[in-house]
Amino acid sequence: MPTVTFLPSYRKITVDAGSTVLDAIQRAQIQMNVVCGGQGKCGKCVVFIKNGSVEFDREKFGRFFTAEELAQGACLACEAVIGDDLHVLIPESSLIQQQKILMESLGIETVFSPSVWKYYVELSPPTLEDPSPDLTRLVWGIQKQGGPLAEKMYAPLDVLRWMPRVLRDSGWRVTATLALVPGGFRIIDLEKGDTRSEIYGVAIDLGTTTVVAYIRSLADGRIVGIASNYNRQISCGEDILSRVNYARKNGLPKLQALAAESINLAITTAANGAGIDREDIYEVVVAGNTIMTHILLGIDPAYMIEEPYVPVVRRYLTTAAPRLGIEVAQDASVFIFPAVSDFIGGDIIADVLASGMGEKDEISLLVDIGTNFEVVLGNREWMFSCAGAAGPALEGGEVLFGMRANPGAIERISIDPITLEPEFQTINSVKPVGICGSGLIDLLADLLRACVVDRTGRINTGIIHPRVRQGDHFPEYVIAWKTETGNNKDIVITENDIKNLIMSKASILAACITLMKQAGITRNELSAIYFSGAFGNYINKENAIMIGLIPEVAIDHIRNIGNGAVEGANMALINRKKRKTLDEIAKNIAYIELNAEPSFMDEYTGSSFLPHTDLALFPRVEKMLDECRLKKIPVGVP
Amino acid sequence: MSENSPDSSGKIGYVVLGATKAEGGTRTVSFRLGGESDLPFIGMNTGQGSIPLVAFEICDDPEYWSPIVTSYTGDLSNDAREWAGVAEKQYGADIIRLYLTSTKRRGFDNFSSITTVMEEVLSGTGLPLVVEGSNEPAIDSDVFQRCGEAGEGERLLLGTAEAGRYRSVAAAALAYHHSVLAQSPIDINLAKQLNILLREIGVKADHIMIDPYTGTLGYGFEYSYSVMERIRSAALKGDTDLAMPMITSATDSLSVKEVREADPAALEDIAVEWEFYAALSSAIAGSSVVCVRHPKTVPLLKSAFRELWAGKMPGEA
Repeated sequence: MPTVTFLPSYRKITVDAGSTVLDAIQRAQIQMNVVCGGQGKCGKCVVFIKNGSVEFDREKFGRFFTAEELAQGACLACEAVIGDDLHVLIPESSLIQQQKILMESLGIETVFSPSVWKYYVELSPPTLEDPSPDLTRLVWGIQKQGGPLAEKMYAPLDVLRWMPRVLRDSGWRVTATLALVPGGFRIIDLEKGDTRSEIYGVAIDLGTTTVVAYIRSLADGRIVGIASNYNRQISCGEDILSRVNYARKNGLPKLQALAAESINLAITTAANGAGIDREDIYEVVVAGNTIMTHILLGIDPAYMIEEPYVPVVRRYLTTAAPRLGIEVAQDASVFIFPAVSDFIGGDIIADVLASGMGEKDEISLLVDIGTNFEVVLGNREWMFSCAGAAGPALEGGEVLFGMRANPGAIERISIDPITLEPEFQTINSVKPVGICGSGLIDLLADLLRACVVDRTGRINTGIIHPRVRQGDHFPEYVIAWKTETGNNKDIVITENDIKNLIMSKASILAACITLMKQAGITRNELSAIYFSGAFGNYINKENAIMIGLIPEVAIDHIRNIGNGAVEGANMALINRKKRKTLDEIAKNIAYIELNAEPSFMDEYTGSSFLPHTDLALFPRVEKMLDECRLKKIPVGVP
Repeated sequence: MSENSPDSSGKIGYVVLGATKAEGGTRTVSFRLGGESDLPFIGMNTGQGSIPLVAFEICDDPEYWSPIVTSYTGDLSNDAREWAGVAEKQYGADIIRLYLTSTKRRGFDNFSSITTVMEEVLSGTGLPLVVEGSNEPAIDSDVFQRCGEAGEGERLLLGTAEAGRYRSVAAAALAYHHSVLAQSPIDINLAKQLNILLREIGVKADHIMIDPYTGTLGYGFEYSYSVMERIRSAALKGDTDLAMPMITSATDSLSVKEVREADPAALEDIAVEWEFYAALSSAIAGSSVVCVRHPKTVPLLKSAFRELWAGKMPGEA
């Protein structure tokens, strides 16, 4: 069997001949950037074959490389088939890097009303005169401390098994942890001495890409620790469809384990940071998209991605943490947010909860942009929702120099409309190596303002300027010359990149317009547009409207709710009354299937223009465009 | 058409093709197209709009032409000047549409020949001209420049502008005051987008004709019809970015399977039949100018349009 040696680490692994280099990388547990899930589409899993050779179709995938890179042995890990021993260099740009993640959610006030409590009791030991059983003694003691009625409490078998020892070893001074369950209160833990301050819960946003954990004290509700990390399922495919496909190929147990592992990692990091014991976490609340929560629960997600797109379960679920492999207190329960449909999951219900739009009379629009996008429109009385694939362009995929929000990503950029010279700032202020979503939106808006692109996004190659040129395959605009970049390459945006960006933004705008038309709502009736997701926090709102990512409203009507999923999960963690409303919210949200909506394609084509074919929908942008054109020398003769 | 008529505020704008001596050109006739404020044919008795016109398509290199046509025309198709004259006088076409197929030759760079062909055709016929430039972006600018220049003052219709390729043709049209044939693939939004792109670089609405790309019968013509009807309805509701007259070409008719595989003895009749009904359908759907390639199709269409138009004659500018 061939041995693959990875450079620069010199990690070695033996694989079967016929495996791909990506298989070997995954087996070696190297975290590789695999946007498309190994289908040879995204061009991100670049490796260099340094010793030995692989089977790789250079002709078919040559478009991802320069001639120089090919000469150095560049290939796509997912398409390179191993025959014999190899040395493979993995460039840093192909590895998953530390990501800038939104951690601070907006504080919305909510009632502190947890569903687990600790009671410290000092009991008198049994005597011949008072021979009542241990449990009776305990529940009476708790009731005397102001706890629930004794007959409403019960203890599971494992607690009963260790109860006599704990009571006697502690000299009958114990702390009992009670959880509210249907029909009463369950004693889920019994500890020696007074541990009343050590009671915690954790709110989890289980995202396709990242997992965020907030640990809160359930004695007083305050946040004690926050952590986040990548969802470790990324090694099985970056987007959600690749995950479902992986699950279909007998991969569900592995994906389930990776989901739990990702959550455990976030909890451990947050707990260690706060100096608390994971065993003192008694409740876990998870908001995630429907496929993620199905996978976490170990429920087959396969039927959600084929017609007629049915989830197994929609309502909220509770289960015991150990059954999911979540390593917290042994009898801790896990609360999982309900879903509206397979595409509108608990993360969106959490968004709605966090935005407060379901409690207002005014109509709001909520847009959650991530790997997929979801849109919710409505108020306290009614809500419509829809979801779709925006494509990875807004997250840096399918864009030549697109990247996630990692160090070196251009996150803000402006272009002088006359000189066409750009000014930009990168994450961590290091030399640029690529451009992330917020930068791409700025860039597209300013290329339009400067008339470098027309409203279809095509670059005017008639412009005589060193930054506007014909690239190897497409016309392009040079953002940074290789002398100023961190990767010794000219960083450009090509006409093809712009096309992909427009396709992404068009699907989001078309979804918004379709919902608004269904409800008979015009943009003037929108009291707010909420952006959820990390993305919303970093983008320039004016530019988002300029390119027509969202309908035009006054800038101060656009609000970022931050990571709405984790915010909503936090609210449900500390206020159990909110949980009851979740199923109601979920039931009230009507789901509009865009594929079944004949007008959607029309709206999509109309939206595949900057900002939209019908400028009457974008009066402010129309004015801006007119002003921009006035500044330019009349174009016409290229 | 109560949905449109009562509150309709728009009407189709005018586009003038061709310029007579009095208008600064050398054409014997010019046409003012457009002006309708209702759906196709509706309202013609009250003097709206104009009877559909028939453009006959010729080329300057018959190697790229349908053998169904060239076997009928014989040597004539080797001489664009003479062919244009015959199309006018014998076939009875209203407009000549010249395809510069010579530019399809690999590495074409004989741009002065374009000027020559243009001059020949302009001298061979007094009818207004539609000119189709190259199919190759790299030479677009040179080709359209020559076409535009050679036809200066003649109010040509220059084609074809598409969303991805409109700057060169628009530049030549702007420089020499011609109109632009704007083609989009059977979609109302894309048609509108292209007209906006043209407007934003300076082409006026009265210098644009919409080619909604109709294909032919059997290719799903109901889709073409509905897009054309929607374009017209949007224009009548006041959308000025769609309020231009339409031009369509039925030339795909000559390559449908039924024609290709026809019995040689019946082939010509079948080809003409397909082309005739495809063009007729396009006119019914709202096309102001229909373009055809088979000489025998022209008189059939002319006579059909006269019947449909209750004997009225083309509105002359």
